[in-house]
Order: sequence, then structure tokens, then C-alpha cells
Amino acid sequence: MSAATATPLAIPGQPLGSTSKYQPGPGTHIHQSTLYSSLLGVVHIVQPAKAPGPVKRLNKIAPASAPAELPTISVSRSGVSEKREVLPEVGNTVLCRVVRITPRQAVVAILICGDTVLDAEWQGIIRVQDVRATEKDRVKIYESFRPGDIVRAEVISLGDQANYYLSTARNELGVIMATSEAGNTMFPVSWKEYQDPETGAVEPRKVAKPY
Amino acid sequence: MADRRRINGPPGATAPPIYEDDSNQESSGFKATRTRQPNTIRRMYLKTGVTPSASGSAYLEVEMPGKSGASGLKLSCTVHGPRSLPRSSPFSPHIILSSHVKFAPFATKQRRGYLRDPTERDLGTHLEAALRGAIIADRWPKSGVDIIISVIEGDQDRGTAKNQADDSWEDMNVLSGCITVASAALADAGIDCVDTVAGGVAALVRDGSDNGKTKIVIDPIPSEHDKIEAACCVAYLPSRDEITNLWFKGDLPSKEAGLYQELVEQGILASKQANRVLVECLGETVG
Repeated sequence: MSAATATPLAIPGQPLGSTSKYQPGPGTHIHQSTLYSSLLGVVHIVQPAKAPGPVKRLNKIAPASAPAELPTISVSRSGVSEKREVLPEVGNTVLCRVVRITPRQAVVAILICGDTVLDAEWQGIIRVQDVRATEKDRVKIYESFRPGDIVRAEVISLGDQANYYLSTARNELGVIMATSEAGNTMFPVSWKEYQDPETGAVEPRKVAKPY
Repeated sequence: MADRRRINGPPGATAPPIYEDDSNQESSGFKATRTRQPNTIRRMYLKTGVTPSASGSAYLEVEMPGKSGASGLKLSCTVHGPRSLPRSSPFSPHIILSSHVKFAPFATKQRRGYLRDPTERDLGTHLEAALRGAIIADRWPKSGVDIIISVIEGDQDRGTAKNQADDSWEDMNVLSGCITVASAALADAGIDCVDTVAGGVAALVRDGSDNGKTKIVIDPIPSEHDKIEAACCVAYLPSRDEITNLWFKGDLPSKEAGLYQELVEQGILASKQANRVLVECLGETVG
């Protein structure tokens, strides 16, 4: 059944090979030093990236990266269904909409995680100390975000029961889309200001650096 | 049950239309007998992805051999999630399973109410235990998944009036079907599982035709046997060789100690046969 098709199919619990042959990727798990699939999906084997160019002379002590030589095996749902639920994880960059602001934090709804549009709605919090990296004590939430803004942020913690904790403390993180009080879409004019093209009014924001 | 908001059917047993062929057989002392081998389960049909609005879904049908028009087992399972937990619940580093089994009002001979009754609660708990052993729960922190099974037909022979008192033997068949169909729906939803779990039932039966001797059959239909002494429902992971849930009911003669083990082993055999259907069904979903 699966052997005949061009793309090998895996079902949960199907053995994929020994841990001495492959590294575990997403959609797999290890049981008694054998890799098993944990999802229904298509098996992908990714060869490790070769070191570019001639190997440099060692100038620092690095741990021997023997396991990195193994190809990574993963099971992805791409061939089965496009409806793959993703959870925000620590370190992911997410896009979110500001729902409400308080002096201590901005409450946001996470819309996109990485490249995937989330099905379920997850709530996040940007605390006042996580808005920017410098002059943290001068940050005011209402000078950084307004309800309705679209913000690019990074997940720094799974947080408490309801909220993910997000941070915008990097140049490329912050507000990427904002509307003025008059209701027009604004454009960024500096690292901390957005301007309304029609009224000319300038509003303060934590502006994300354009790529 | 004081449920005034809905139009309820009659509370007691209703008389379904009985066609002439069946009633003739009934009156002439016709009794369904098991024609399958003792170690074979009934044929079943399983399909995933039947409910588009759910994250994962599956439909299971088990035939009722012999009579035409008699009801077998029909289950529909939907999986919703992983989705965020309600605000009131505490932080959870792993996924929170909640499973609900609901009989349709017309699923069994005795009409079921809209409220959850103890049987449904019991089946839900068993199902949750069976699935918890198969799911890799810490892949999905802070999220919950709802598994909802509707029993459309409850595996009861409507033609026979006897065995009405101990219809609880059918619950074992329903549970084993629930486990299999939920496992397919979970795989369809893309929730990480250690293995495909499937359910199987084995029973110790006593038939008049065998001079009152007991024997073990798998996937029993209560109306085909004179008396069921004991039965067990097993949820089994085939590639791990592990049992995640075991439900044992009935009386075993105490002098035969090996019988208990034998019954569980036959339950595993039934589960393996169900798992073959499950694997084949999952294989068909791609491509």
C-alpha cells in the first residue's frame, strides 16, 4: 500500500528506522532507540547541510557535532490535509492584533505563527518591560501600541494558563500596520512614529524596522 | 426527565415496524446463531474525514450478519482541536483530553434521553483512558482537544425481545468501536500518537447447542448466544504490544485461573483485526 506510492506514507506507530541512521524531526518520536512516526503523513528525509567551502582552522573549542551528520527524518501532514494545527512555540515570530491595552501590558490575539495562519485564537501579552530593549523604564504602552494595530512579535514564554508572553524587544519587531485616530492607514516615519498621510498627524508607536 | 424545551419522544420502548418475514421466524422459534468462526470479528467499514468542519473525523460501521435490516453499530466521531483552553482552567504543560460519548435517542431499543446518562459517562471515561495512553500529550502544551462520538446505532438486535434486561453487554462492543473510530479521527486531526489504538472484545459464552459448555468468542453479539458469562474489552497498541485500557465484566469460574488471561489474549486478537482495518483506512486517505 505505502510501498507502491512514490511518496512513502507513514501512519502513527510505524517504525521509520534506527536512531543511529536518522535524526528525529517533526512528527516522529523515539521508543527504545527506534524512530517511529507519530502522525499520519508523508515521510521526508532531509540530508544535513554540508559545510560550505573548505573547513576553517579551528579557533575555538566547539562540541563535536557528530549527530548533526545524520539525515533528519520527519513526517509532515502536507500531503494529507492542509488543516494542520500549529501552536506558538518559544522563539517563534508571530503576527498579532492588539486587542486592548493597559498601563502594564498590551493584550494581543495571535493570528499567524511563522507562515501558518492559526485556526484557533490564542491570546498573548506584551508586558511593558518586553516592548523594547533599551530605556525599558521609560516605555509607556499607550505610546507603543494602540488597539487594532498589527504587531510582529517573538514568543518568549508559554506564559500562564491563558496567555503567551510576547516580546518586541528587537529592531525588526513591533507595529507593522497601524491606523490613525482618524481611521486612515499610516506609514512609519521613524523608529517610534507613524504618520497619517491625510491629516499629517504623527502618532507614537514601537515601529518595526522594515525588512 | 423534565425536559420541557424539546419535543420528546415517548419515554418507554417503542415498537418498530416488524416485517412479516422476521415475525414468522420469531414465532417459529428462529434464533440467530453465530455463523462466523469464534476468532473472527464482523466486517467493518471505516472512513476518515467525513465532517469538514471538524479538525478530524471518522465514521465506523459494523455489519449485523444474518438478518437484513437489523441494526449493527454505527459511530460518528469528530475531533475538535487542538484549541486554547478556557480561561478558568489552570496552566497545563500537556494536552487535555475530553471525550464525550452520546447515544442518539433512537440508537438503542430503550429510547435515550438528551441528558448524559451514567452509561455514556462511563464509556467516555473508558475511552479517555484508552486514548490517553496513545497520545503524545506534551507535544501540545496549553491546549485541549474534544473527542465527540455519536452512537447512531447501538449494536442491538431489534427483532428479539429477549436479553432486554442485560443489554449492557452491547456497551462493550460500542466501546471497542468508539476506541477504533476515535483513533482514526485523531490521526486525521494530526494529533501526535504513539501508535494506532484499536478496541477488541472477547466473551466467554455458554450455548445450549454445545451442551452447556463454555467457549470464548471474539466480537460477540449477545442475541446470538444463550448466555454471556464474562466479557472483556481491550484497547491495544499493536506495535508497542501494550494495553491502554482493559474493561472486564462478568463471572469467571474460579477454578480456571488461565481463563482470564485467555480472554484478554482473545481481546487483543480482536483488536489486532480491527487495527488492520484502521491501518488500511488511514492508508487510503493519502493520494
